[in-house]
Amino acid sequence: MGEHSKAEWNLLLPVLAMVSFPGIRMAMGFDAIESAFLIAVVPLAIFPAILILGQIYKGEDWWKNQLKEGGIVALAGLTITLSLTVWLLVEFLVHHAEFGAQGTIFDWIQFEVFESEALVGTSTLSFGLWIDSVSLMVLFVAAFLCFLICWFAIGYMTTDPINEDRNHRFFAEFILFSMGMFGMVLADSFLWLFIFWEIMGLCSYLLIGFYWEKPSAAAAAKKAFLTTRVGDVFLMVGLFMLYDLYHSLEFAVIFGDPTMGGTIQGADLQWPLVLMFIGCVGKSAQFPLHVWLPDAMEGPTPVSALIHAATMVNAGLYLVARMFPIFSEASFEGALSDVAMLIAWIGGITAFMAALIAFVANDIKRVLAYSTMSQLAYIFTGLGVACWFANEGYDKYAIVAFGAALFHLFNHAMAKGMLFMASGSVIHEMHHAHDHAHLYDDDGDHHDFDPQDMRNMGGLASKMPVTSLAMMLGSMSIIGIPLIGGFWSKEGIVAQAWNVYAKGGEMILFPAILVLATAGMTGFYMSRMWFMTFAGKPKSDVVNHVHEDTQWIKTPLVTLSIVTAFSGFILACGHFVYWLADPGHSHFMTDLIEHPIDAILYELEHAFLPEDNLLKVVGWTAILLSAGVGPFIAARMHGGHLAEGEEVSRLTSWLISYSGSVGHTDIGELSEGGLATALHNRLYIDDAYEWVISKTLIPLAKICAWVDKNWVDGVIKGIESGSQSTSTWLRQFTTGRASDYLLMAAVGMLVIVGILWGVL
Amino acid sequence: MNLGALFSSTDMASTLIPETILLFGIIAMIIVPNLGNATFRLPIPGKAWRIPYFVGGKRFSFTSDPRLPSAIAAFTLFASFITALLSQMGEIGVADSCIAMREGVARAGPEWCSGGSVILEVNAFSRLMEMIFTAALLLAVIANWDRLPATPHHRIPLKTQRDEVVENRRLHRLLNNRRQVDFSLLVLMVALGMSTVALSANLFMLFVGLELASMASYVLVAFNKETKVGPEAGVKYFIVGSVASAIGLYGMSMLYIWNGDLSIASLHSAWTTGPNGMAIIGLGMMLVAFGFKVSAVPFHFAAPDAYSGASGPVAGVLSTASKAMGFVALMRVLIGITLVDDGSEWTLLIGVIAAITMTWGNIAALGSHNPKRMLAYSSVAHAGYILAGIAAIGALGPGEGSELIATAIIFHLAVLVTFKLGAFLVITLLECEGRGHELEHYHGLARRDPLIAISMMVFMFALAGVPPLSGFLSKLMMVSGIISSTVGDVSGSSLSDAMGSMSWVFWLAILIFINSAISLFYYLRICVVMFYDDTDRHLRLSRAPMIRIAIMLCTMGAVVLGFGVLADVLASAAHDAAMALFG
Repeated sequence: MGEHSKAEWNLLLPVLAMVSFPGIRMAMGFDAIESAFLIAVVPLAIFPAILILGQIYKGEDWWKNQLKEGGIVALAGLTITLSLTVWLLVEFLVHHAEFGAQGTIFDWIQFEVFESEALVGTSTLSFGLWIDSVSLMVLFVAAFLCFLICWFAIGYMTTDPINEDRNHRFFAEFILFSMGMFGMVLADSFLWLFIFWEIMGLCSYLLIGFYWEKPSAAAAAKKAFLTTRVGDVFLMVGLFMLYDLYHSLEFAVIFGDPTMGGTIQGADLQWPLVLMFIGCVGKSAQFPLHVWLPDAMEGPTPVSALIHAATMVNAGLYLVARMFPIFSEASFEGALSDVAMLIAWIGGITAFMAALIAFVANDIKRVLAYSTMSQLAYIFTGLGVACWFANEGYDKYAIVAFGAALFHLFNHAMAKGMLFMASGSVIHEMHHAHDHAHLYDDDGDHHDFDPQDMRNMGGLASKMPVTSLAMMLGSMSIIGIPLIGGFWSKEGIVAQAWNVYAKGGEMILFPAILVLATAGMTGFYMSRMWFMTFAGKPKSDVVNHVHEDTQWIKTPLVTLSIVTAFSGFILACGHFVYWLADPGHSHFMTDLIEHPIDAILYELEHAFLPEDNLLKVVGWTAILLSAGVGPFIAARMHGGHLAEGEEVSRLTSWLISYSGSVGHTDIGELSEGGLATALHNRLYIDDAYEWVISKTLIPLAKICAWVDKNWVDGVIKGIESGSQSTSTWLRQFTTGRASDYLLMAAVGMLVIVGILWGVL
Repeated sequence: MNLGALFSSTDMASTLIPETILLFGIIAMIIVPNLGNATFRLPIPGKAWRIPYFVGGKRFSFTSDPRLPSAIAAFTLFASFITALLSQMGEIGVADSCIAMREGVARAGPEWCSGGSVILEVNAFSRLMEMIFTAALLLAVIANWDRLPATPHHRIPLKTQRDEVVENRRLHRLLNNRRQVDFSLLVLMVALGMSTVALSANLFMLFVGLELASMASYVLVAFNKETKVGPEAGVKYFIVGSVASAIGLYGMSMLYIWNGDLSIASLHSAWTTGPNGMAIIGLGMMLVAFGFKVSAVPFHFAAPDAYSGASGPVAGVLSTASKAMGFVALMRVLIGITLVDDGSEWTLLIGVIAAITMTWGNIAALGSHNPKRMLAYSSVAHAGYILAGIAAIGALGPGEGSELIATAIIFHLAVLVTFKLGAFLVITLLECEGRGHELEHYHGLARRDPLIAISMMVFMFALAGVPPLSGFLSKLMMVSGIISSTVGDVSGSSLSDAMGSMSWVFWLAILIFINSAISLFYYLRICVVMFYDDTDRHLRLSRAPMIRIAIMLCTMGAVVLGFGVLADVLASAAHDAAMALFG
């Protein structure tokens, strides 16, 4: 197998050749901004190509081995988008191109606008690009992660015999999904944002239900689609209301003058913003529309990574970030602070609830799913706080909170993308190891064995050194271990949430307490996951057959490990936070390059020794809880030394020996208690929804079905049989006898002459 | 009229180039296949001097070739088509010209168009119609190139019996060539008759041309004499058709009694002063004759029988060229003679016939399982759509709106050649293996021959009027013409007022919509069985290259005439024709 994987490196040559694409565009005389629309167009063109080619050539050798059932094609496309994105970044960061609307690509619909039956002008719905620091950041995250996940997926998907000959569908949907995200980020109006948003909704349905023959996967796909649909309906209504106010959905119009020359009051915007926020809640899986996300784990693991790190869930955050300029309009001061508070509250509740459920999850991907919900909730809290500050006029804090929230989006996406891929690596190898170990069993299938269950793992650190290291770094970033990744952003969010309280927003107290508590809980459940998987003695014999394989899976993990380990620190010291909220900020990275020591010291001082005493207390509490208390408890409950004779690399061995030396606590009783049962049942929220639906929607649907079957179909069938019998009757007149025909003609002549005579 | 004038005067020749070509084609068709090595022995005793005179004897190999008659006919029709096109474009001959009888002598030239007694009229309308006729017949001839369809039992002799084989083959070739000559000759007769109808500016000339074409087409329907259905269908078609013609001729005679002149211009000026009862009855009787030609209810009954009895190309000609001829006659009479400003007398009558015809055709087609009968009924329905357009013209009177609708009618007649004839040609291809008369013969056609199945799908979609095919454009032009001219200016008034003030012709447009919806069912049924149903017959369809070429020509026509440059060219030509029709 090793030799085989070595030979596969040459498959990447055409992919790497695609890196030259921006160069070709440049040689053709286009600049980066003119080429930006290709970021969405290239994947859109590749989507049907993979689908059609796959349908025609599936099962053929070159399609399977040379093109990896379309994976290489998709990867080539994503290479193009990534290189175009980098080019765009260079254009804006180095050459300081102007942020904002970048011109129209094409006009879609033109129509006349009437006001009380008088023509007042024509309106055009056009597609154009809008690029600022937020979209650049999200675009880069999406392009970078999609590229790596696609790389990973080639190794993950094409080695499973269960996927035989249908992976072209996976890669086609994958690239359409990516295209939806790229398009959404680049779009210059809420309308196109919504269109691409829905494309992603469709693709998430298709990909979650990729194993459609499994009833649970089909149900999960349906659940995801319908739940996000609920949010989307609200979003659509919100957009209608927004259009009614502004007569346009273009960012340039709305952000240019949110008051429309003083005609729009802040209060008018409350409902549109709330409704749009509900759409975000659905998309980003926040309470109470979070129920689809854990079930979405039924999809293949690369899909989980795609949905939870790179694309879909970020869409909701992106939309909220897009509303920020409305909040910061000076003349709306105070009018929208309730909406901002609502955002923060939803975030706080979800963060706490998801972390709580993650305590008891045993499925490795489900832990990550709940962790995603929880971390997204942090970002929502941060955005809510930022909006509150902006609306109340504290622009300085608003910028910090906004930047911290989006910084957390970046850190979380990188870490979570890696964690999902690492978990995929674990699952993949467990699965193969199980097949290998039970090769000669009579019973071929493994319904008794769940390769995702952490209770079957343990001690994997020595078997999968790269994966365990990647997972450790990812978990540390999510937990917020000082200096690594998520620490910088999470600290800012928690601190600014408490700062709101200090500035007079008493309502924030509840979510502020929740996010602070969640920081510690995150430390517990992420550590628990790592210890259960990698530390201690093996909990099943399958583990002994596990071994790491194929560069397709390892390369993205290594890449992301490096990014996760260092990007947080570098970006934090480079004033990334300020740049995100304030595109004109000139110190992005320049300070760090010119005076590295000063910049680092400044940032460290701000993070660990803020001037405000409240922030100091909050900050250190968070650090203590997340880095100390949480991991400690987890280590006592689930940690332990490896089995005798197992070697571990130095990078992870310290953690295992720490977990083995803190002692052990038995939690048998606690895990049987009422709270644990409730958590296992996800706090009964799903059950409650199901009960309500079974009492309301299902009976209604049955009535509709009955009416449809008996009335509507009855009418249609009646028309059909009626016309058929009329046809038979009419054709009886064609007797085949010429004399009858002549009789008819004679009658016809008499009628004609009669009518003509009568008219006279 | 002396025949010599036809060839002596250059004006005459340049006016009638396409018709002259047809005439020479007929003569060539009679002579060329009979050429052989016949000799004539000079009656000089003792001398055996033989002078070859070529007619008769043992025929040369090329004159007995079964493809020769089709080649002559195709060349003739093609030349006629091209000359008509070129003369209309002004490249050769005269674009607008007339032939008039003055003092017992036929005179040709543009200067004779005024002053009465015009018998033939060359203008945009007649030239376009000629092109439609010759194009349809040309396609039929191409499809008939080297075989007579519906003779499925014709087999290549086995190689073992050598002498007999050679003998049989010669006999076979002889027979086949004779049949081909008959067939092609009749086709050319049809072409000449139809051209005369297109040119005629006099009801008598019109009738002569109509009968020439009809008589030939009756024989064509009955041409497959070895089958049972062929002669039966031909005889039925002949009986009903001749009775209808007789009634029409009787009607014309009444008009002659009333006016004393059958030229259209003279009749028109008389009609504007007010017709009397006899003229009205004459008109009604002529409507019977032309109603039979366009297969309007209740004169359509022979049509399904005739179509299903005739071979595919002939049925295709009947449903396109022959029908177009009927409409030319109908429009000459209804628009050329009897159209008056404030609502012509026949408007309501034609409207009622249109409504009944389209509904009857569509509903009868719903239950037909023989695709040829189905297409026959669909042809009836299409006649209804066109009649609805004529009714709208009657309600509007002469004017821009009427010209628009007439444009749509002419456009429709032109594009009908592509998709209606194309559908019949696909049936012809199936007839080569002795099938095609049952819906189940079309099962799995897409698997047997994807290209032909896709062509058939294009034809069906075009017949149903699915964009962007030509059938859609013609229907759209028709419906939008009717609606825009009947609705007029309703902006500002409320919906109920607008509905109340609308002409009843508007509802004909609505009826066209409803009927189009009904018709989708049976058109799509063919597509469904072709693409989704399975067949136990896995042979490929007959190769028949010439039929395939004809089908491909039709497919391309159905697509390219639906949108783009060629559609514009055709639409503007149709508009010119409509202008010429209104004078």
